[in-house]
Amino acid sequence: MPDELVISHLTAGYGHQSVLQDLSLRAEAGRLTALIGPNGHGKTTLLRAISGLIRPKSGEIRLGAERISGLGAETIVARGIVHVPQGDLLFPDMTVLENLRMGAFLPAAARQEKSVLEEVFTLLPKLRDRQSQIARTLSGGERRMVGIGRGLMASGRVLMLDEPSLGLAPIVIEQIYEVIAGLRRAGRSILLVEENAMRAAVIADQVHLLDHGTLAWSGTGAELSGRSELLETYLGV
Amino acid sequence: MDVLLQILASGLTLGAVYAISTVGLALVFGAMNMLNMSHGALMALGGYMAWFMVTGFGLPPVAGMLAAVLVCAAVGVLIYLLIAKPMLQSEGFETRIFIATIGFGAMLESVILMAFGPQPKPQPLAVQGGFSLAGVHLPIQNLLILVLSMLLMAALALLLQKSRIGRAIRATAQNRDAARLMGVRIGVVYALVLGISGGLAAISGITVSSLSSLLPNMGGDPMLKAFIICVVAGLGRVPGSVIAALFIGLFEAVVQYTIGVRFSFALLLLLVIVVLIWKPQGVFGRQQGVRL
Repeated sequence: MPDELVISHLTAGYGHQSVLQDLSLRAEAGRLTALIGPNGHGKTTLLRAISGLIRPKSGEIRLGAERISGLGAETIVARGIVHVPQGDLLFPDMTVLENLRMGAFLPAAARQEKSVLEEVFTLLPKLRDRQSQIARTLSGGERRMVGIGRGLMASGRVLMLDEPSLGLAPIVIEQIYEVIAGLRRAGRSILLVEENAMRAAVIADQVHLLDHGTLAWSGTGAELSGRSELLETYLGV
Repeated sequence: MDVLLQILASGLTLGAVYAISTVGLALVFGAMNMLNMSHGALMALGGYMAWFMVTGFGLPPVAGMLAAVLVCAAVGVLIYLLIAKPMLQSEGFETRIFIATIGFGAMLESVILMAFGPQPKPQPLAVQGGFSLAGVHLPIQNLLILVLSMLLMAALALLLQKSRIGRAIRATAQNRDAARLMGVRIGVVYALVLGISGGLAAISGITVSSLSSLLPNMGGDPMLKAFIICVVAGLGRVPGSVIAALFIGLFEAVVQYTIGVRFSFALLLLLVIVVLIWKPQGVFGRQQGVRL
């Protein structure tokens, strides 16, 4: 599959510390793959390594046939991997519209900016009303929507979402997850980091459980729901 | 009334000169958290290059100015490639680059001193004469500086707000990681920002020397003022620093006329102290250190 994300024997981390140890997993094209696991066990580090924000120490990351590990973040996004980071990382002094347009900064995305912007506004109607508001003044839920919308503007092949529910009120989480479910139905390739295993089990086609930087378990969302001992051991649910 | 207009005219000229040197500093700090301590030396280089091109090569004034801008822009890019880039990823970049650029500035000043000598030289890029308007005498040079400064600020604002590269600069300033995730090549942004800042330093050096004369260390005083203005405005805030520059120019003109020239710098520093007690992050600054 051209859009399949394959991680083989990846070791990555910060400074001398390796958070990920010889990790191998894949995220299939056109499906929603969820990464779950306790905090601090490598989920975010994996996304940062894939998008090039940190350079892997060893191992390999491929998108389809192309090796992308070792490239810089600005090159990897041009290959079609879009990272919606934890904490949104919006451009705080830009308006909502400017933030969204930054998502389509690369020439390939800029060419279809108008039509994709319409799609984003349809998917996240609140953003249409807020387009001229400065990002810094938005509520947490609105920021999350801008972050996701900005990611969609890149028209990438793989969308990586890092804890899109983090720090939000339950009702807003529901809205965000409806949007993600819509993207999944539309056949997008999505790699989702989610702390809440039950939520991941419901929405994901495939679930990977990361523990101490290695793959502890893999299975479908439905399988995860039936493995209560897994949830107890690793996630204290 | 005449006096008031006179003060206004000289204050705005002063402010316009400050604005050109200040935005260069603010732009670089805003985009990459870098205090460029060689900015003053770049100003001197710009002034001398214009002098050299016009008197040495016989270029027409405008061409001489453009040549000086190009030379200083190139030096700005070199500062990125040779000094900033190697230490960009290291810990304590802000401190290291601060000290490294002090060193580079001293070096550049020494080169200028060796090449052109310690005697003051007149800046050929100055228009003599003046005219009277409503009883106020205005030197043409001052008016030219004011217009040039306003045009430059407008061009810079247009570049930052409307162009693709301007969006990239602002994005990098507001969130470096996020800008990279959008596909912005931050290395290019940094080189460009230092290039623009270098070009602005050249123009700034030309205007400063056209009001006094060329000296190898002529950039020191204007750079100090530019830093003061940057701090008052809030480090890295480009539009704010233009407003602060004009305000401080006027402030100095008023103090010089009412109390005397020797008090102007002391009172300026007092003003800075008051501002920093009142708003430690600067008048236009924000707590989080988010810029542009």
